[in-house]
Amino acid sequence: MLRLVPSLLSRLGLLLAVALLIVWSLGPVYWSFVTSITPPLDLFGDTSFWPKHPTLQHYAKLFGATSLSQGNAVQSVWPQFSAALVNSIVTAAGATLVTVVVAAAGAYAFVRMKFPGRDICFYLVVATLAIPAYTVMIPLYRLMISLRLIDTYVGIVLIYVSAFLPLALWLMRSVYQAMPISLEEAAWLDGAGRVYTLVFIVLPLAAPGLIASAILTFLNAWGQFMVPLVFSPTLATKPLTVLLPEFVTRNYVDYGLMNAAGIFAIVPPVLIVLFLNRYLVSGLMAGATK
Amino acid sequence: MALAAVFVLPILVIMGGLVFYPLAVSTVDSFYRVDPMRPDTPFVGFANYARLVTDSTVQASWFNTLAYVVFAVVLETLGGLGAALLLDRIRHGRRWLLAITVLPWCLPPVVNAIVWMWIFNPSYGLLNKVLLGLGLIAQNKVWFNDQATALFLVSLVHVWRMMPLTAVILLAALQSIPGELYEAAKLDGAGPVKSFRLVTLPLIAGGLAIALSQSTVFAFNLFDEAWILAGSSIDTRSVIIQVYLTAFQSMRLSSGMALSILAMIGSLAVSLVYVLKVYRETRYD
Repeated sequence: MLRLVPSLLSRLGLLLAVALLIVWSLGPVYWSFVTSITPPLDLFGDTSFWPKHPTLQHYAKLFGATSLSQGNAVQSVWPQFSAALVNSIVTAAGATLVTVVVAAAGAYAFVRMKFPGRDICFYLVVATLAIPAYTVMIPLYRLMISLRLIDTYVGIVLIYVSAFLPLALWLMRSVYQAMPISLEEAAWLDGAGRVYTLVFIVLPLAAPGLIASAILTFLNAWGQFMVPLVFSPTLATKPLTVLLPEFVTRNYVDYGLMNAAGIFAIVPPVLIVLFLNRYLVSGLMAGATK
Repeated sequence: MALAAVFVLPILVIMGGLVFYPLAVSTVDSFYRVDPMRPDTPFVGFANYARLVTDSTVQASWFNTLAYVVFAVVLETLGGLGAALLLDRIRHGRRWLLAITVLPWCLPPVVNAIVWMWIFNPSYGLLNKVLLGLGLIAQNKVWFNDQATALFLVSLVHVWRMMPLTAVILLAALQSIPGELYEAAKLDGAGPVKSFRLVTLPLIAGGLAIALSQSTVFAFNLFDEAWILAGSSIDTRSVIIQVYLTAFQSMRLSSGMALSILAMIGSLAVSLVYVLKVYRETRYD
């Protein structure tokens, strides 16, 4: 009986630690969600951990309802919100697609083909991971102006690709390196061309790596703030991350609205964690350890 | 050969045009006076750098960045190690706990900052409410009035986002340790503390170094959290915010470029220290 006490205690400690980790990770997100469904007046009164009068009015404001504030009609933010949502989706998806295609082909060349300067090239590209974005952004700003790419999808996507390509390249190289070359050699012996072999034999086997690269690139692009703060001055390309802080009006900060918009903006990342976490974690591990 | 060129060319064009060319321009222009408000761009040598060294605002931003790095690296490493050890021990539901742990890293930093800004709100924030409820403070506090507290809270938001990365890296390292080693340590009479010190720690040293260098580089480049929580406030202004303000608000482009070059050198130097350390440690194996 006495021997059970220490094991019970250690079990209890373990449970406590698990609870702590869950509260630390989910607590702020939960609180943001509660705020987003609490009526404005309750926010400035006695808030509780469970909303007493849940309401969808903050979400309604996002999606087109006008509201009253101190007797004045407040326009809906839907026109700005919907434009920014589209911009976030287009730029993040565009950057993901281009990055994964370029990295899949490029990393294959870096692993399986021989050409002068191969390794130097690869390490130079990967070394740019340690360069702060602003070191290149000032000349890039003038370059983009002269190319007329400021505030265009093409400009934003190109900058994202240049920022997130090194990580994807690093990841895909480690994936190809772990693959036995015998499969490809067998295909070549059967008369398959190099491109055919890459697309129909290598890439399907590299699918987990491709998914991991896509997820990491998408999450990085979706959450990006510094780049669009400079390169997306108008709603033509301005994403949610830049629009959200602008919801701070001159008189007061509409925390209900901001939290509702925030909850909306975290839907894609949450879905990824729920359904694709295996690939995400393997990508983080490979990207960080190899 | 031709195919290799086709595969690699996009990388060379994108990275060359959008990273290496601007980097070269930044380096060269930091020795000139480039200012859209003033005519000509004369060569000024190290004048931009010299002014940065004596500028008290810039010095303050270096101090803040240093504080962010210290807070972030310490908290992320301790918290991440704790989380990794926990995840490594859990049998049931590890998949779910891992997903929950990783979540903050996946969210847009801007949204994190907004969520925490509401928690830190002086009048209606959760932090004041909880601390009042526990009797730890007597009245609501305006957290960002005090510089040390402000720096710590900005770091805390950053740690909330970045700790999962440290945890995942260390978990990978922990899982690569063969179980027999622990058995052997147990047979030799080592308790949990001793086996952690003699078996776990040396074997995760490589992962630890990578995690440390990631934490450092990311904290060094802290921008989003400080910008959303406190804007251009001098109390919380990081070096990168200083670069942004100098270049894109004051339009003193060459001064901004000089500071960004210094930030890059700092960031690269720190990474190099860790890389060399790992190299030296793994060389004896």
